[in-house]
Amino acid sequence: MLITMPSRLYKYKELFFIFVWREFTVRYRQSLIGALWAILQPLSMMALFTFIFSYVMKVKMASYSPVLFFYAGLMPWIFFSSSLNYSIPSLTNHYQLITKIYFPREILPLSGITVAFVDYLIASTIFIFFLIIYKVHITWNILWVVPLFMLLFFFTVAVSIFLAGLNVYYRDVRLATGFLIQLWFFATPVMYTIDNVPINMKLLLFLNPLTFIVENMRRCIVEGRAVVGWQFVLVLIIISVFVFFCYRFFIKIERAFADVI
Amino acid sequence: MSSECLVELKDVWKKYPYKQMFHRSIREDIVNVLKPKNNLDLKDNEFWALKSVNLQLLRGKCVCFFGPNGAGKTTILKLIASVTYPTIGEVEVKERVAPLIEVGAGFHPDLTGRENVYVNGTIIGMHIKEIKEKMADIIAFSELEKFIDMPVKKYSSGMYLKLGFSIAVHSASEIILFDEILSVSDELFQKKCVGKIKELKAQGKTMVLVSHNKALLNEIGDQFVLIKNNTATYVNTVYEY
Repeated sequence: MLITMPSRLYKYKELFFIFVWREFTVRYRQSLIGALWAILQPLSMMALFTFIFSYVMKVKMASYSPVLFFYAGLMPWIFFSSSLNYSIPSLTNHYQLITKIYFPREILPLSGITVAFVDYLIASTIFIFFLIIYKVHITWNILWVVPLFMLLFFFTVAVSIFLAGLNVYYRDVRLATGFLIQLWFFATPVMYTIDNVPINMKLLLFLNPLTFIVENMRRCIVEGRAVVGWQFVLVLIIISVFVFFCYRFFIKIERAFADVI
Repeated sequence: MSSECLVELKDVWKKYPYKQMFHRSIREDIVNVLKPKNNLDLKDNEFWALKSVNLQLLRGKCVCFFGPNGAGKTTILKLIASVTYPTIGEVEVKERVAPLIEVGAGFHPDLTGRENVYVNGTIIGMHIKEIKEKMADIIAFSELEKFIDMPVKKYSSGMYLKLGFSIAVHSASEIILFDEILSVSDELFQKKCVGKIKELKAQGKTMVLVSHNKALLNEIGDQFVLIKNNTATYVNTVYEY
């Protein structure tokens, strides 16, 4: 299944490229600060969290600066949430194309995710500055970010195509998106860490694959710790199975999109 | 027939529900997925949009569809474009199909005409390189040289149409579908389009034309198909239905 997707898309790579390019051009047209928006969102949320947790709640999250703590957690989270925001309505927004012409429908949600990925890269540049300013000791374990991001990417793709496809049938999905993302945010250790959570509650939180990804991204970048191998493999297997079923579901319902949309 | 058959519809039936999906429940959907259904049965809120349609599109021919509204013309085009699939029967498509998308559907209002040529061109299956090469021709044919770098939200519907038509006729697709597109444009441009369609025909392209303009269809068509009462019949000429 992971093999069919690239082969289906390969033929349409130029269309995919054009959709991504169009998404970007359109988004920042008639906008003053353009791509700076990609930095503004994580930066402002990080500033707010730092303020609240340092001065209002007076909780110390980690042995290092809360700036690093929050920003490291916000980057993967914002990639995930803005991917969902772009991709869920992507099919229904293009109903005129879907009812007129054939192309692999997953191109639409995928181009939304790609846009979120570029935002992620832009936001990462600022993170590098923070790492330098706060003199973080970088170890080779930082390379774990790449496989962790791959996990995050495939998980995001699976959730996105599943919900985008379902949204063609039931618009409730779009209506629920804001609420779902909000709930998911609190279920993901972005503004907290699971280190001090009792073990049975920890297991509960790990039902959300983002818990593993966000926690470990923070650990390997800021704390220089490695990811536990067997845990990684376990999450990899779970996410692969999930991607497999979501993509199969999508392919199955895709044929009827033009009739239902 | 000596010509090679590019698209074939074999005893195609297509069923649609009258009501939108709002009256469906998830429970009903799950039951439908699980139990093998008999496609021939018509439930009380369903109807046949197409009944036993047999069609062949031959290379280099211009096929005209005519008939009353709601008789199934657009549904047939959708089947040819592989956007939807028949309930019963088979649709065989052997070549790339370029549908002329409805006025403005493939365009983004905030992009300029030129940018939209790239978007729309790739949507109908052109390569970016191909579009670059043909850009000058496309713009020249559309007669929009002065406005090509303006956002298309400022275009009139006639201008939209000219650009859309121009992109479609420059694609390398073997089969081009025109769904009632010539109705909005001015007479001069219509003549130009007819000329271009004849030129494409001479190049061996296959075309499907849907229109209510009888004179126009009779002028350019090779084959005529009356689509009425959800079925298709080959006829000799376009006439009053």
